[in-house]
Amino acid sequence: MENKMGYNASFAEEVFRNVDSGDEIKMCMNCGVCAASCPLREHMDYPPRQIFSLIRAGKREEVLGSQSIMLCTSCYTCVVKCPRSIPVMDVMHGLAHYALKKGYTPRIEAARFGKEFWNQVYRRGRVDERDLAQRAYFAGGFWEGVKKILEFADVGIKLVLHRRMKLIPEKKIKGISTLRKMLDKAEMLDKGRSVQ
Amino acid sequence: MADVQTTNQSILVVGGGMSGITSALEAAEAGYDVVLVEKNPYLGGRVAQLYQYFPKLCPPNCGLEINFRRMRQNSKIRFFTMAEVANISGSEGNYNVTIKLSPRYVNDKCTCCGKCSDACEAEIDNTFNFGMDKIKAAYLPHEFAFPMRYVIDPSIVETEDGKKCQEVCEYGAIELDMAESTFDLNVGAVVWAAGWNPYEAEKIDYYGFGEYPNVITNVMMERMASPNGPTQGKILRPSDGKEVKNIAFIQCAGSRDENHLPYCSGICCLASMKQATYVRERHPDCDISIFFIDIRALDRLEDFYTKVQEDEKIQFIKSKIANISEDEATGNLLLEGENTRTGEQLRMTFDMAVLATGMVPNKIDIAGAPEVAADEYGFVINDPEKAGIYGAGCVRRPTDVASSVADATSSAFKAIQSIARR
Ligand SMILES: Cc1cc2nc3c(=O)[nH]c(=O)nc-3n(C[C@H](O)[C@H](O)[C@H](O)COP(=O)(O)OP(=O)(O)OC[C@H]3O[C@@H](n4cnc5c(N)ncnc54)[C@H](O)[C@@H]3O)c2cc1C
Ligand code: SF4
Ligand code: SF4
Ligand code: SF4
Ligand code: SF4
Repeated sequence: MENKMGYNASFAEEVFRNVDSGDEIKMCMNCGVCAASCPLREHMDYPPRQIFSLIRAGKREEVLGSQSIMLCTSCYTCVVKCPRSIPVMDVMHGLAHYALKKGYTPRIEAARFGKEFWNQVYRRGRVDERDLAQRAYFAGGFWEGVKKILEFADVGIKLVLHRRMKLIPEKKIKGISTLRKMLDKAEMLDKGRSVQ
Repeated sequence: MADVQTTNQSILVVGGGMSGITSALEAAEAGYDVVLVEKNPYLGGRVAQLYQYFPKLCPPNCGLEINFRRMRQNSKIRFFTMAEVANISGSEGNYNVTIKLSPRYVNDKCTCCGKCSDACEAEIDNTFNFGMDKIKAAYLPHEFAFPMRYVIDPSIVETEDGKKCQEVCEYGAIELDMAESTFDLNVGAVVWAAGWNPYEAEKIDYYGFGEYPNVITNVMMERMASPNGPTQGKILRPSDGKEVKNIAFIQCAGSRDENHLPYCSGICCLASMKQATYVRERHPDCDISIFFIDIRALDRLEDFYTKVQEDEKIQFIKSKIANISEDEATGNLLLEGENTRTGEQLRMTFDMAVLATGMVPNKIDIAGAPEVAADEYGFVINDPEKAGIYGAGCVRRPTDVASSVADATSSAFKAIQSIARR
């Protein structure tokens, strides 16, 4: 619960205890390298460093309700560059998972992005970054999609330049059916059901 | 072959920087025989390369000169330049050491007339100026070199240039047949004062050092600001020789970083603030930005920080720079980071950037040497269980000259105790 000063004094402790890799942020020295290196920084309401600062400041609603934690694309840039060797990406995923468990629903854009990600992995066994972005943008209608693509153009170019995104569509992986079985099980587990 | 008589009552000091010189002087002035060996052709270490000392902004040569005078007056110190330890064995109170002397090809008759240098055509990289300029292969290491004596680079010994140098020398000072030699010592204790090296900035790949000419390091800046340096004291862009209009200092370049040096190098905040005053002095119109995680200026040094903060041309921006890229057409540098005070994404362009690189200790790297305790980063620990070889100065922790001198004095005292215990 937030106190009347607007912060929740036990939120940091809650994160350290319950969020996967959550206690790693104790080592964060607030340098901003992750925030400045994340390819999605301009589209996040709070880039990673700010998320960590908000956790320390007890801003539970801002953190768990943020779109940033849902947007992380697992590109590893922050993990590679963090001077304190904090697995920033894992913390972001941990927070996203925790937020979902606590009943926070990802905001519409992040949700589209996540859903499309899942669909692609299910369909092809891999992610086609270019296609993923396009589908996620157009999910809100044609004109909105065009606008979004133009906004994201620079990020896309950077990803291509850093060989993190290819221009030709990805092919299906071998043994996709086995992967699908695994994904089905994972989904069951996530919903709290038992699997044999 | 050097004629050095020592006994297990003598002390060997390795490294002739401020720390080594201090240990040697303190022990000698307490009445002990000391042999000091220095790898470079001159004494003074890194301090000789600095333009000014923080916080007083006085020239380091002044302090060095006082120490050299103390050395000249004290017959208990023998020192050797171009000398290294080749071998060391034994234990506290009784070490056998072999010293290797590299040939200088110039003997003590040299008067520094400079004729050999004038005659020589071949040039080599000037390591004293971190390769920013070239010098003749017959050279004086620097203006205030001690001992004041020329050096012939091995690369010209067998060439026409070498012969020419020898011919023009009127004092018979050049001996091209000088060869590497060794001599043995017996000492009771050793002080290891081999100092530090700048962290290799190339390893921080997202800063582009080595790739973008206008990214330099703090040690290069010291030489650039020196009137006897490669640019005669002007702060000029390496890419086009243009005077700088705005300059960035990037703190913790490699330090406080688990991917590089996990520790704080202790002095680079002060060094950058000091260098900002160099720029102010030379180019009063230049805008200066210092990008930092936190500023580390402890004790009395905080006054210097306060003073520099008052300068309206010097901006302190709380952001670790996450990337540098270069505009190829202009050579300008784009710095990116997050301003962690405002939360804004930061993108700023500069003429030049100075990386505040940290200090890496020079560990004891002699095969078969007795074990010396060190911490996880390689800094020597003066462990009472392993007495006899003691670290002094920056091999013990990254620090400034005043603290190095204090540490070197205490190490001299420990070395004396090692002898007295026997
Ligand atoms: C950019 C910069 C600016 C600085 N400015 C200041 C300042 O303004 N004020 C201040 O107080 N401090 C300053 N410092 C710190 C200062 O340089 C150190 O405190 C000082 O150099 C420590 O002296 P030292 O004798 O321990 O090491 P060094 O100066 O490194 O001396 C070590 C000596 O040992 C020799 N050596 C190395 N290996 C061997 C070997 N195997 N055998 C024989 N000899 C060997 C080296 O050639 C060298 O001469 C600055 C540092 C940096 C990086
Ligand atoms: S890069 Fe690492 S230390 Fe720096 S703000 Fe991000 S998480 Fe914290
Ligand atoms: S892994 Fe996620 S948080 Fe880290 S830089 Fe990539 S997108 Fe940003
Ligand atoms: S070596 Fe000879 S020529 Fe060269 S500076 Fe010394 S005295 Fe002059
Ligand atoms: S002294 Fe300053 S610049 Fe150097 S490592 Fe420490 S905090 Fe960073």
